[in-house]
Amino acid sequence: MTTPQLSTLTAEPEAQEPPAPISERRSRLRLPFSPWHLVLIPLSFLLVVPLLWMLVTSLETEGEANRFPPVLIPESPRFENYSEAWAAAPFGHFFLNSVMVTLVVLVSNLIVCSLAGYAFARVRFLGRGALFVTLMATLMVPFQVTMIPVFLIVKWFGDNVWAGLGIDHIGALMLPNLATAFGIFFLRQFFQTVPVELEEAARVDGTSRLGVLFKIVLPLSLPALSTLAALTVLTSWNDFLWPLIVITSHDQMTVPLGLSYFQGAHRVKWPLLMAANVMSLLPMLLVFVGAQRYFVQSVANTGLKG
Amino acid sequence: MTEVEFRDVTRRYAGGVTALNGLNLTVAEGEFLILVGPSGCGKSTALRLLAGLDKPTSGEIRIGGAVVNNLAPGERDIAMVFQNYALYPHMSVYRNLAYGLRQRRTPRAEVDRRVRETAELLQITELLDRKPGQLSGGQRQRVAMGRALVRKPQAFLLDEPLSNLDAKLRNQVRGDLKRLHREVPVTSIYVTHDQVEAMTLGDRLCVMAGGEVQQIGTTDDIYNRPANTFVAAFMGSPPMNLIPGVIRSGLLHVGETEVTAVPSPDGPVTVGVRPEHLQLHPSYTDGMVPARVDFIEPLGSHVLVTAQVEVDGGRVPVIVNAPAGTELASGARIGLALPQERTYFFDAETGDARRTRERVSLGHA
Amino acid sequence: MPALLDRVGRSETLSGWTLVSPAAVLIGIFGLLPVVMSLVLSFQHSDLLTPETPWVGLDNYRKLAEDPVFVEAIKHTIVYTALFVPGTMLVGLFVASAMNRSVRFISVYRTTAYITMAVSTISQGIIFLWLTDRDYGLVNAALNSAGVQSQPFLASPTQALYVIVAMTIWGWTGFSVIVYLAALQGVPAELHEAAAIDGATAFTRFRTITVPLLGPANLFLVVWLTINALQLFDEVYATTRGGPLRATTVIVYYLWDRAFVQFDAGYAAAMAYALFVVILLITAVQFRIARKHAHIS
Repeated sequence: MTTPQLSTLTAEPEAQEPPAPISERRSRLRLPFSPWHLVLIPLSFLLVVPLLWMLVTSLETEGEANRFPPVLIPESPRFENYSEAWAAAPFGHFFLNSVMVTLVVLVSNLIVCSLAGYAFARVRFLGRGALFVTLMATLMVPFQVTMIPVFLIVKWFGDNVWAGLGIDHIGALMLPNLATAFGIFFLRQFFQTVPVELEEAARVDGTSRLGVLFKIVLPLSLPALSTLAALTVLTSWNDFLWPLIVITSHDQMTVPLGLSYFQGAHRVKWPLLMAANVMSLLPMLLVFVGAQRYFVQSVANTGLKG
Repeated sequence: MTEVEFRDVTRRYAGGVTALNGLNLTVAEGEFLILVGPSGCGKSTALRLLAGLDKPTSGEIRIGGAVVNNLAPGERDIAMVFQNYALYPHMSVYRNLAYGLRQRRTPRAEVDRRVRETAELLQITELLDRKPGQLSGGQRQRVAMGRALVRKPQAFLLDEPLSNLDAKLRNQVRGDLKRLHREVPVTSIYVTHDQVEAMTLGDRLCVMAGGEVQQIGTTDDIYNRPANTFVAAFMGSPPMNLIPGVIRSGLLHVGETEVTAVPSPDGPVTVGVRPEHLQLHPSYTDGMVPARVDFIEPLGSHVLVTAQVEVDGGRVPVIVNAPAGTELASGARIGLALPQERTYFFDAETGDARRTRERVSLGHA
Repeated sequence: MPALLDRVGRSETLSGWTLVSPAAVLIGIFGLLPVVMSLVLSFQHSDLLTPETPWVGLDNYRKLAEDPVFVEAIKHTIVYTALFVPGTMLVGLFVASAMNRSVRFISVYRTTAYITMAVSTISQGIIFLWLTDRDYGLVNAALNSAGVQSQPFLASPTQALYVIVAMTIWGWTGFSVIVYLAALQGVPAELHEAAAIDGATAFTRFRTITVPLLGPANLFLVVWLTINALQLFDEVYATTRGGPLRATTVIVYYLWDRAFVQFDAGYAAAMAYALFVVILLITAVQFRIARKHAHIS
């Protein structure tokens, strides 16, 4: 019988695998894989079948698309649909506009909401409580209530400050979204969890208030900032109603709006429309898959705290 | 009839980790057996295998003589008290206690009777309408015990049930547990890493390390006849001193000092003596182990002296109990006398006890 | 006042307001000011272009109460919400339960559930228009092979709204699954183990342990989904434009139409405010019910 040396008394051999959950323990059938795959595969397939069908159609010819029952696999994938769709509408403009709007809104939110969130979290200033409640109250107001006046406000900016901020310009898409109460709320929550001692130590060392924010707090808040960034990018890119209200010129349209216009112009050219759809969807799908855990975390946390 | 038996039970995980290796253990009917050892020793694994929350890689588990390997936890007629209590947070204490009985379709009147009986026994009757979230740690612990008791199972499984309580409460509940087992002597298997709990509560102890049994026996067996250096050092606080030495021509050598004659074969040994058995002499004489005082810790009832002993290849610290009021300067040379009958010899390589009892004839110069 | 400032710390107040001012200004202009403006607008007659906006008092609200299209829109919105909210929750719970295990590739499976969150509303609309196309759609092909006649779906005044329900359930499944998955994983494994030892089968455990503990997740979803359902617009615009024959005209669609197509902004503002009040009321009621329920159980 071997006796472990005294030094190994404290060693903890971690089990490589958690004990099998009760439901999986006794499968009389010895399958090489868990029986749950038989449920999960069809389920997942069903969930993504609309997207898959969109993809399949985007590679078909018009003749194949207009056949019934539908062709499940195109004879030879017609990638020309994509180049044709791109040429049929100013997609270059659409993407560029979306990127610019999203980028500006993202950067602006990150900066403005960080400043404000930090102030609300750590700076004791007169009127802090009242201001916070007032700003948070805006979260309760649905967009439909504010959209008409914001239209008028943006119109005013366009007429009196700079045309680029006004109706039918992408500036109008950026302006109302440069800061959100949600962003402030979210970052404030997170900043409050950063240990105050770190900031105090820096202040004692002579760092300014702003310096503490940029050198200590923000670097520690990367997960929260990433989450806010992911959410902001998704909401901004996929926003439809506001661009619909403000933009009419094709060269100022963002991707969702442009897609809608494309749909109007090429209603029954399904393969073409699907190709346009795939192109429009791809950026956000990629962002989502890449930043998946941030999205999941943010939704899960809001949901659990109710 | 409710004997619990592990027959050569092994649990291996993918990746090669063996959490439990060939456990052979029989718990007698009505016995309170304690599985004790450090984290990762396999005690919790053994308990979970017994509960049916995990499946052994090989071996048989029997409850009441019947093999239960393929039975679901609910079919084994066992009850478990979890370390974190696992009380159903959305149910009242009453419903928590009643849950197991309700699952077995026990008639409502019977359920009510048994729940109230158990609540009475554990003094939680006033808490029956409250939810777990409204209870203190100690109260929750009693509800967890109650949930197990009310089922009148064939065996009780307890997974470190006291570890989340503060020290004072822990002592109190330890006493309660002992009293409870006296009144309701159900076969119980209790897991803990705390050796005080183990020694005070158990009819028998099973000391484990690295997935293997080190020794099974009563507190007396374990404490006074340790089977190897692990058991010797694990049980007892402060732990037994283990001093490397060599027996040459029938004489024990510690470092460069010839200590005493020992009727044991030649070769390297590990000498084990508990602090309370080692005798401290303020000056060194032949037949003792020389040491140099490191520091002293007065404890009121006695004084703990930590000293350094020269051995082959270095120094080892040795702790010895001294009477209250002992004053020794750091660096002072003292002598440590090995007691008759209380000095243990272990194989220097395997750690196994050379003989369960050694009579040492101490030659005083 | 000076004493107050001294107490709070003059420099703190200054730095505080400096840090907060960009956000405060932006949200003030685009978040708070519009709320007031909208209220004022609802008492006026405005076409968004001419600066003259004559005061009409409660006229807009009165017209609203008698507007048959508005009443229809309310009906449609209610039907939609009543189907969408439970539907999304049930589907989400079902999928989350299936995905709440640690088999190989589980992260891939879960991604397929989450991914509907990334699909824009317009894209959804276009895909479903194509899927449910009467002549060439995949759904009708599947129905035909099962012996069922082709359906008009979005082209039918009776079916269109229900198709939109199905479409938006698909779109929101990702969100719902995330919430439920987090809630399911929040149930400590020990509770399941204790229940198993107590003799409960897997289904009983789900019913008596898991589901009751989903309370907070359920409340969150009911509130969030209802608020979103009452504001349905994009998907309607992308598919039916409120038709056929106004069958899918929901409140916000009608609102938008009146404000930016008919240029009747005052009236639309009144409608928006009415909707706002309704949303607040419904949310308050839901919270009240939830609190009562929590006390009883």
